[in-house]
Amino acid sequence: MKKLWAASPLTYLALTLAVLLSITPFYFMFVVATRKLEVINAVPPPFTPGGDFGDNFQRVLDNEHAAFIYGLINSVVVSSIITLSVVFFSSLAGFAFAKLRFRGQNALLLIIIATMMIPTQLGIIPLYDMMVNFFHLDGTLPAVILPFLVTGLGVFMMRQYASSAISDELIEAARVDGCTTFRIYWSVVLPALRPAMGVLGLLTFMEQWNSFLWPYAILNADTPTVQVSLALLSQAYYTDYAQVFSATAVATLPLLIVFALFGRQIIGGIMEGAVKA
Amino acid sequence: MFSRWDIKYSPYLYVAPFFVLFGVFGLYPLLMTAYMSLTDWNLIGDRSFVGLENYSALLVDEYFWNAVRNTFAIFLIATVPQMFLALFLATLLNRPLRARTFWRMLIFVPNVTSLAAVAVVFGVFFRRDFGIVNYFIGLVGIDPISWRTEQWPSWIALATMIDWRWTGYNTLIFLAAMQAIPKDLYESAALDGAGRWRQFLSITLPGLRPTLFFVVIISTIGGWQLFTEPLIFNGGGGAILGGARREFQTVAMYMYEKAFDNLQFGYGSAVAFALFALIVIFSVLNYLLVRRSVRN
Amino acid sequence: MISPILRKGASMSVTTRRRKFAVVALAAVTALGGLAACSKKDEEAKPGEIKLVVDHFGEFGYDELVKQYESTHPGIKVEIRKTAQLNDYRPLLVRYLATQKGAGDVVALEEGIITEFKANPANWIDLKPYVGDKRNDYLPWKYDIGVLADGRLMALPTDVGGLATCYRSDLFKAAGMPFEREKVSASWKTWADFIKVGQEYKTKSGGKALLDTVTTAFSAAMSQAGGDGFYDKDFNVVADKSATVKSAWDTAISLANAGITAKIRTWSPEWTAGFQQGTFAATLCPSWMLGIVEQNSGAANKGKWDVADVPGGGGNWGGSFLAVPTQSKHPKEAAELAAFLTNADSQVAAFKAKGPLPSNLKALDNSDFKAYKNAYFSDAPVGAIFGSGAKTLKPLVLGPKHQAVKERAFEPQLQAFEGGQVSAAKAWEDAIKDAKTQGAF
Repeated sequence: MKKLWAASPLTYLALTLAVLLSITPFYFMFVVATRKLEVINAVPPPFTPGGDFGDNFQRVLDNEHAAFIYGLINSVVVSSIITLSVVFFSSLAGFAFAKLRFRGQNALLLIIIATMMIPTQLGIIPLYDMMVNFFHLDGTLPAVILPFLVTGLGVFMMRQYASSAISDELIEAARVDGCTTFRIYWSVVLPALRPAMGVLGLLTFMEQWNSFLWPYAILNADTPTVQVSLALLSQAYYTDYAQVFSATAVATLPLLIVFALFGRQIIGGIMEGAVKA
Repeated sequence: MFSRWDIKYSPYLYVAPFFVLFGVFGLYPLLMTAYMSLTDWNLIGDRSFVGLENYSALLVDEYFWNAVRNTFAIFLIATVPQMFLALFLATLLNRPLRARTFWRMLIFVPNVTSLAAVAVVFGVFFRRDFGIVNYFIGLVGIDPISWRTEQWPSWIALATMIDWRWTGYNTLIFLAAMQAIPKDLYESAALDGAGRWRQFLSITLPGLRPTLFFVVIISTIGGWQLFTEPLIFNGGGGAILGGARREFQTVAMYMYEKAFDNLQFGYGSAVAFALFALIVIFSVLNYLLVRRSVRN
Repeated sequence: MISPILRKGASMSVTTRRRKFAVVALAAVTALGGLAACSKKDEEAKPGEIKLVVDHFGEFGYDELVKQYESTHPGIKVEIRKTAQLNDYRPLLVRYLATQKGAGDVVALEEGIITEFKANPANWIDLKPYVGDKRNDYLPWKYDIGVLADGRLMALPTDVGGLATCYRSDLFKAAGMPFEREKVSASWKTWADFIKVGQEYKTKSGGKALLDTVTTAFSAAMSQAGGDGFYDKDFNVVADKSATVKSAWDTAISLANAGITAKIRTWSPEWTAGFQQGTFAATLCPSWMLGIVEQNSGAANKGKWDVADVPGGGGNWGGSFLAVPTQSKHPKEAAELAAFLTNADSQVAAFKAKGPLPSNLKALDNSDFKAYKNAYFSDAPVGAIFGSGAKTLKPLVLGPKHQAVKERAFEPQLQAFEGGQVSAAKAWEDAIKDAKTQGAF
């Protein structure tokens, strides 16, 4: 039995190949980002990084058309606000669904599960109309933030986690002590939910960092998010790849750092999320 | 007095933000899409109600069907190999490995990148001249392929991009499901003399059934909405056309072209709603298909 | 139920130290989130200062001029917003105008799109009260395009697109062919000659292509034929019956059939690489293209490019105007800026910077302009090359969606034919069909 499932050198070889495929594009990106423009046309491409990152990135900064730094900051703002909002509202609603009793509870939960299947991206035309003609927010960051402040997935994740992580007795005891419901949420539920909130927050942040279609439609070139800015850089009249790659490297680095720090939790969260599918 | 109120109404207060925000920014736009698809509107001026006119035009709109075909083809070329590869990698990761987390993280890391960055980098890999992919296929004697202008090559290039980003993610999902399968099932099967392949077919695969549903549905929903990769991959001006003869224009790109480039918001809504219908239909179809093919 | 479910499990529980770190990280992110939203436009002018935004596509050569303007006009700040491609610029501008906000104070309108925007005069201020009648300053046909039917001055002319050919003299030399600009000009008087030179180059260079793509030749050939071609006088799309379109199309097809093009789509990653690596040895150059050739080719290729005459005679491809939308909060200042950017001195300066050929008569007569040699292009006397024909350019009045018909109907089909994906007959048929959709007005 043990022999049957043991990891052979062949297993490691196959995994190594897969990992090489995984990281080659990243590596290529960093090599081009740190070398002179000409290497982009070298075949085969060079293997080691160079020392020109500063020059390349300076050209990104000088490129007014792409407004990359603005894009970077805007993305941090947008992703952070959405992340905080999703985590907060999800934990609040998840707590209510898991630990409180109210009429219509099950029906409402079913609705939330159903919303997870709806590709809301398809509503962007009326959303555009709404932002332009009703809220007059086109070209501003609230226009990209507002539609994503809550997600069904987040509520559902929190509900599942709260169900198993918090005992009913604990809630009851708090009630007997005279705690208000919000007090219970704040001092009992919130601390218990923290690990799941961390994972939800990281996943939400990464998803929002990569959001493209809606920002591309509603934002102007002078208020881009980082993805829109990258698209503008790569659609320029002439493409300076050393410049574009140094920008993509900078746009990717925060995600890689977050992943290096919290990769274990992110992976755990994704795998846990899948188990009871 | 307060505490009774608190117990009775607090739950509603807590779930209300979701329903209010989702209602305004999620549900309402979707319903409005259905309504707007019955009108003719160019962002300013009156919306004239035209009934099903947009849909009858859509039915005979060559470019719409072209986009449907492209999107479906890219989805298929991307998803099928991806499922097999992810299953294979998951079985590897499911073995007792040294540095387990290390392998998992590196398999997953493509998912943690800027979407635009993927498209830009692969756009360079797939250049006709001085592209690394053509360099490698040149080593085995194949002529350079014009990835950006020919239909099949462009589909394959885009599928590669999608697979690079999502195979690792699905591997982890499969891995999680595999680990949830009780080990004693394998042990008794081994005692009965079942080999590894036999065990995979009769224990692992049936155990993965619900997960396969999940992954296929999620891939379907994501696949039909494909937008960023082909747009950036195309590059240059008028990228929204997805190739000179719309070789790889997806339905989402066509919707964008109609609504935001041509300002035909009514017709664009019809495209969006048709896309919604396609997603529903294909999710159901895939669900049935997977259920049939992975039966106990 | 098909849904991801989160469950408490071993891998979920984080150590306390890690948890603390997560909280700190979240706090840091929150702090960053407190930063104000970032927009270049939000960099509001200081009290008493006026901020003007100039919208244009591609390269107009205004960077230095704007700095100069700011220094001579205290209290005015100017920001330039460049959209790379005209193809992407037009839809944005249409949306800005439709929603009555977002447009710059001064916006560039290319000849291929200006007619469409003239159809809604209410969107544009009359420049005349601010800048006066400038008819005598510019090429008359060019100036007239910017004038509305009721006599209001909607737009001031920037440049015209006089034609030439940019070629790699080093590659010609390496192939053992005549490489001096006079000899090269003499070698391709007609498009048929051009094909012969292309075939010779192909043989002598070991199979390399002379021209980047047939679409650049198509644009040049269309402008040589003159007139519109895509539209009749009532703005109906008549591309299928137009002799102009047909002859340009046939020229393009013959170039593709002769196999002397590199089959590279303009503005694509392959195009950029081609400039840098010498994949092709020539491209058709309206004067505004000079800056683009230079940027694409990069400093490493300085002195390798040169400029010769265009096969098939002179013509006008491209060229733009500046207008002020009524939504501008500072119409007076915007109009004055537009007048500054289009005056004789500015047009000469822009020409030196990025190549756009002046339409201002004084600029064309300017001795500095006439004597100007472009160092990047092997000191080619570009002032003389482009300037000599400028005053005799044939008037062009283009239909409302000329640019969309050209770039979204005809060029894609030509590229597809060139790439071998479709027959010439089918390409023509589809181009005509797409022209009707794209050109609908």
